[in-house]
Amino acid sequence: MIDAVQLVQNLVNGIGLGLIYGLVGIGFCVIYNASGIVNFAQGVFVMLGGMICATLLARFGLPIWLAAILTVPIVALIGVVMEVAVVRPMWTRGASIFAIILATLASQMLLEQVTLLTLGDQPRTFNSFTPGGPLMVGGVAVPYQLFWVLGCGALMVGGLWLFFTRTRMGRALRACSQNAEAASLLGIPVRRMMMLSFALSAALGAIAGILITPSQITAYNIGTPFGVNGFIAAIIGGFGSAGGAVAGGLLLGVLQALAIAFLGASFKNVAALSVLLVVLLVFPQGVFAGLKTLRASRR
Amino acid sequence: MTTPLLEIRDLSARYGHVHALKPTSITVAEGELVTVLGPNGAGKSTLLRAVTRLTPGPGTILFQGQDVSALPTHRLSELGIIMVQEGRGLFSEMTVRENLILGGYNAGGDAGELSARMERVFTLFPRLKERLDQTASLMSGGEQQMLAIGRALMAGPKLLMLDEPSLGLAPRVAAEILETLGELNREGLGILLVEQKAPLALRLAQRVYVLSLGRVVAELPSHEIKSHHDLARYYLH
Repeated sequence: MIDAVQLVQNLVNGIGLGLIYGLVGIGFCVIYNASGIVNFAQGVFVMLGGMICATLLARFGLPIWLAAILTVPIVALIGVVMEVAVVRPMWTRGASIFAIILATLASQMLLEQVTLLTLGDQPRTFNSFTPGGPLMVGGVAVPYQLFWVLGCGALMVGGLWLFFTRTRMGRALRACSQNAEAASLLGIPVRRMMMLSFALSAALGAIAGILITPSQITAYNIGTPFGVNGFIAAIIGGFGSAGGAVAGGLLLGVLQALAIAFLGASFKNVAALSVLLVVLLVFPQGVFAGLKTLRASRR
Repeated sequence: MTTPLLEIRDLSARYGHVHALKPTSITVAEGELVTVLGPNGAGKSTLLRAVTRLTPGPGTILFQGQDVSALPTHRLSELGIIMVQEGRGLFSEMTVRENLILGGYNAGGDAGELSARMERVFTLFPRLKERLDQTASLMSGGEQQMLAIGRALMAGPKLLMLDEPSLGLAPRVAAEILETLGELNREGLGILLVEQKAPLALRLAQRVYVLSLGRVVAELPSHEIKSHHDLARYYLH
């Protein structure tokens, strides 16, 4: 039987991982909010964030802050290239959303293979942003990196909320997802907005990748599991809400930690997919929107 | 001869193999309210979509004498060509305030200009001021149409094009909205109004085009429609 300290340790690990799922989920929401497209290459941005940052650190000996600052725009640029080369031509020719989503999945595979060929198949990692640690709390080890993930996650959620609700560009992005024709008629450059959403989403994925690499290592093929779990987090949160995605990610991370503690590590993905199935069956619009509707109907 | 506000020459549009708008020429003078009438499938909505390049097709579009045929949709708003779509085209999950602010997107974030335009909209549609924080989709049909027109006015139009603004509205509400359009026209705003059957729209209009099967089949001053028995029977009753 698992002891209490080990259980709390698993939960702390789950919270850290769940926050990362949430950050990946936010990336899904940004593109979905701007275009209605679910970008299945979102996980690859996480992988590229970690891999490029690790490469810059190892090959050029840059300090972590400089490597991170350089990595984010590089990955954002890859997001723009993906939008211009894959999504935009299909969008312009009136391809269905399903076809575009499938093309993003193909892009994920392509980018993984390009990474494999250029950076190799060896897993990479780098040191935590704050040396030392972990912080010991009653026998439970809380890595300093978790505080970085928490802080950056809170900044990203707050920043995105302000961006989407208080800025001209953020509102225009939301307008594009709700009615692209009407947005265009009001002077909003819809294509440019979609490009911006891919850049922003890729940048967010890169930040998640840089944050997670010190504790989870990275490799050319880690994009898919992070993408799948980020997607589940976004669905739990109601797809479209940044705060919902983070809450969904936390829930998923904690449930995975409990599954590992009580059922074994091999049940981690079973827990994630079971959660997804239950959410889709009970709250197809997301747990939080579903609970809100339930409360409203009881009044 | 003064330059028309809008001049369309031989504009046509297709949906796949369907030639929805055959080469069509119409004009709207500065400060004129022109109504386009026609039954379902006549090509009225396609005409507006072709002008705004949502459904681009061959032909020439001159706006205040400038050829705008090659411009993309979002650039037309900067020139002052604004369209209210059939079905209103609101950002339904956003509030009234957000819809109106987005209407003024081409003001480039100038808060003073946005505020002045919004006050003007509230003068015309006071109900929108009372509903500022309400989600657009939760409003009545009439209020949604007011919001759609208010949002279009936030863009500072020189030419306002409306696709069946009275569709699905109670007669009293439709009359109220069309009266407001008449007021805007009397202040000098050029309006191109598409309607199916609208005695009131005809009363407001100075000129009428009648479309059938994608072609203009009649062009006449609106007061003359009474003397055309077949048109009068179809569009005035």
